[in-house]
Amino acid sequence: MKARRDVYQAIADPTRRAIIGMIAAGPQNVNTIAEHFTVTRQAISLHVKILEDCGLIVIHRQGRDRFCEAQLDQLSEVASWVEQYRQHYERKLDKLETYLEQLKKAKYGKSKK
Amino acid sequence: MESQKSSTQDRELRVSRLFNAPVALVWEAWTQPEHIANWWGPDGFTCTITKMDMRPGGDWHLVLHGPDGTDYRNESVFSEIIPLEKIVYQHTSSPIFTATITFEAQGEQTLLQWHMLFQSREEFIQVVKTYKADEGLKQNVVKLDAYLKKMQ
Repeated sequence: MKARRDVYQAIADPTRRAIIGMIAAGPQNVNTIAEHFTVTRQAISLHVKILEDCGLIVIHRQGRDRFCEAQLDQLSEVASWVEQYRQHYERKLDKLETYLEQLKKAKYGKSKK
Repeated sequence: MESQKSSTQDRELRVSRLFNAPVALVWEAWTQPEHIANWWGPDGFTCTITKMDMRPGGDWHLVLHGPDGTDYRNESVFSEIIPLEKIVYQHTSSPIFTATITFEAQGEQTLLQWHMLFQSREEFIQVVKTYKADEGLKQNVVKLDAYLKKMQ
């Protein structure tokens, strides 16, 4: 079964997040990227492949070299998901606010403005 | 290598609210099981508090009853309690996170700050994805409901 590739899978791994961080400012040679990590070059190649499949990087070949360029537009989608979850907590506070109004009425008679 | 400086930024959530109620009342609404059950769960859920021992190391067990009859058990352990000021608890059932809630009296009002720190970015993303899927579904039901009301 092939795992569905999406932006969340791309950023779910710390090595991949580090790779994205390295190329965010500009394209980098895959070999240069690999030198920054203690894991094997094959492992880095696999991460690069996953990032490419997820659409977060584009690979440009120049002779025998491969350069990774970041395509980070999709990451804003993640930010909007997180915002939705934050709204869930805002609603919890809405409910607490409503409940506090009821409590005030019960305790002090009329609700104080 | 990856910088660890802003290491929590990608796995935390903060919300805050200024309530038009004195801090003693907000604290009471948060800490008394008979009160908290009235506002804790998401819209359409009811909540049963089975255990709430508000001492460091004390257990907090609650069950959220979903609109479709599904029960969601939530287990936490309180790690710090400062009356009228601060509550810290570890959510020990999935998803794992640490919640810190601070209460700040501002005259007759109270500023409540709620901070949730997830164990990992992976966990946080998983939670957000799950929630978003649920939320999308819920919103559709609400929309359909509103639409059907208009048709009548």
